[in-house]
Amino acid sequence: MSRAGAGDRAPLPAPADRPERPDMLDLGGVEARRRRRRVRAFEAAVFVPVLLALALLATLFFDVITDSFSWQVIAPHNSGRSFAFAEGFAFHRTWENVVRLELLAQGRTPEEADALLADPEARRLFAARNRVELMPWVDGLPLRWLVTSSRDDHVADLPLFEGVGRRRELLASAEPGQVVLLNAWLDWSFFLKNASRSPAMAGLLPALVGSLMLIALVILLAVPLGVGTAVYLEEYAGDTPFSRLVELNLSNLAGVPSVVYGILGLSVFVRLLGLGPVILAGALTLTLLVVPVVVVAAREAIRSVPDSLRQAAYGLGATRSQVVFRVVLPGAVSGITTGVILAVARALGETAPLLVIGAAAFVPRPPAGPLSPFTAIPIQVYNWVSENDVEFTHVASAAIVVLLLVLGVLYSLAFYLRRRYESRW
Amino acid sequence: MTSRTTRQRSPLRLAPAARAREGAVRALLLACAALSVLTTFGVVAALVGETAAFFADPAVTFGEFFTSTRWTPLFADKSFGILPLLSGTFLVTAIALAVGVPLGLASAVYLSEFAPPGRRRRVTGLLELLAGVPTVVLGYFALLFVTPLLQRVIPGLNLFNALSAGLVMGFMILPTVSSISTDAMQAVPSSLRQAAYGLGATKVQLIFRVVLPAALSGIVASVVLAMSRAVGETMIVSLAAGQRPLFTFDARETIATMTSFIVQAATGDQPAGSLASRSLYAVAATLFAITLLLNLASQLVVRRYRERYE
Repeated sequence: MSRAGAGDRAPLPAPADRPERPDMLDLGGVEARRRRRRVRAFEAAVFVPVLLALALLATLFFDVITDSFSWQVIAPHNSGRSFAFAEGFAFHRTWENVVRLELLAQGRTPEEADALLADPEARRLFAARNRVELMPWVDGLPLRWLVTSSRDDHVADLPLFEGVGRRRELLASAEPGQVVLLNAWLDWSFFLKNASRSPAMAGLLPALVGSLMLIALVILLAVPLGVGTAVYLEEYAGDTPFSRLVELNLSNLAGVPSVVYGILGLSVFVRLLGLGPVILAGALTLTLLVVPVVVVAAREAIRSVPDSLRQAAYGLGATRSQVVFRVVLPGAVSGITTGVILAVARALGETAPLLVIGAAAFVPRPPAGPLSPFTAIPIQVYNWVSENDVEFTHVASAAIVVLLLVLGVLYSLAFYLRRRYESRW
Repeated sequence: MTSRTTRQRSPLRLAPAARAREGAVRALLLACAALSVLTTFGVVAALVGETAAFFADPAVTFGEFFTSTRWTPLFADKSFGILPLLSGTFLVTAIALAVGVPLGLASAVYLSEFAPPGRRRRVTGLLELLAGVPTVVLGYFALLFVTPLLQRVIPGLNLFNALSAGLVMGFMILPTVSSISTDAMQAVPSSLRQAAYGLGATKVQLIFRVVLPAALSGIVASVVLAMSRAVGETMIVSLAAGQRPLFTFDARETIATMTSFIVQAATGDQPAGSLASRSLYAVAATLFAITLLLNLASQLVVRRYRERYE
């Protein structure tokens, strides 16, 4: 251990985190070296699967992100002109400004353009058929505004990397009047567009609102139910047959396939209670699915609150419910929050139960309330992939990027909270 | 564990109003806990009722259900043999286990025995991320990335096939296998490890002759749990494996599993109460029974064969 030059310093203690590695001792002999080599080879061998799993995760992210871009050649129905970013950008009036530029480019007079923009009905019709989009690359120029129309002809669609290599060729092959552009399917307008039968016009708005409503309802329902169950099991129930039954149930419910929960939702909420395939029915189904997640996390958090705190509270004359609500739950709140975040993440990505209870295949507008038919982001992904159309694939991957970003934020939050609360008591 | 004083009845004498409030809180919490039991009853009741109605139909017999190799409830010429769906489920699950179990176990060995604690925490976090990827996204990946890749290597691979669905599902169950097995290996007491080293074992010998045998119950439980997840997985197979019930064990073929049939039947417009709609419940009941058995088996393994080190 002590080396020359270490002087009179005490020998370094072995690293505390790996107390047992006698194979690292310098035994010197040939046999010892062989043994060490074998251990190192084995370590490398078991490290490979970890790398594989992480590589798959990285590939997945990479594939989804690159799929959300594509090179397209379109024969525009509009003027076919694009406008530089600075030319079109006008803060909150950008949309109007770009539409004006486009109308002028189509040969209308400024008066006609102003008249169209001033007339609400004409505006609505224009917005229904045309999109103002900011494209990263149009006809060789960076960051252009382009007004696309639902009647544009999509001549070609190339994947991101293939298109980079064949950019010149694409530009040269474009016939007069055709536009070559790099379409970033995930742009700001993707969040604002309603559903559409045409991929270029299809947006995430109804699914986004549907998912948000679902999540809000799931939190409202699952948190009281899950935390209540956990408090009952940890603070009230002794070792009674009923509490054992509940525990057995919870561990088995966690293993029930989510699609079976869909069947339950279909039978009970959609048909028996007569709700129909609406957001509320979806939220109730997802609630049943995620309650076990909340219960497990909340029980663990409640158990980690030291008994001394409870006894101190009882000593001050608190009743049991006062102990629960003023001592135990405040002490367990970060652990419970972690569980709720994980439950939300689960509910956000669930597809099968919602498909089974009958989330609508095509929802043109955002749902109005909990009793409207609905779609959600993962449902939309499923439907778009099932369209079997290359452009809808890009739309699906744009939705996946949104979904994964939201989930990434949720998981990081849970990871951070868990580490903080691990060191709490 | 320290004994819990909280479980004893409070010795305080409470005013009637306070006592009523305590009782109400207790009843409310009990109702929450009862809901989970109710959920299970709901699942069973929903499945049993319609499944019984399905088998009561003269067009269906038990014998045909479990032996016939034709499953065509959505066609005019109906036939109800669940074997094609079972074989499809089995095929995909087998591929997933063949991929996920060795990789997951090896990861667990690395994480438990070799990785320093900091890296273990980070890698475990990343693996949880993999487990958290929605399965519809994995289905997209299997269909649009893995299948085209495999088609270059394997001739005769269908666009929808069991192979890529199974491969991707293997990575889906990897974190399950790895995290439960890691916990089991970490629970092996260090006195056993020290004893093995004292006898001159190398780390490899220690892992194979001490750690793995001692953690066996946890490892088996993780594998059974992973199997139950693979059997119940829906979106990967719905998107990547297709929806054609075929009695085959050829991984290149388009197949249907129990779960993908449920989605197919539920998203189609089968009128409630029709035989086709009831067949969905019969399939779901079979699926539920299989996963329930697997879960119970995993719990039994843990309880029965857990080595106790106190």
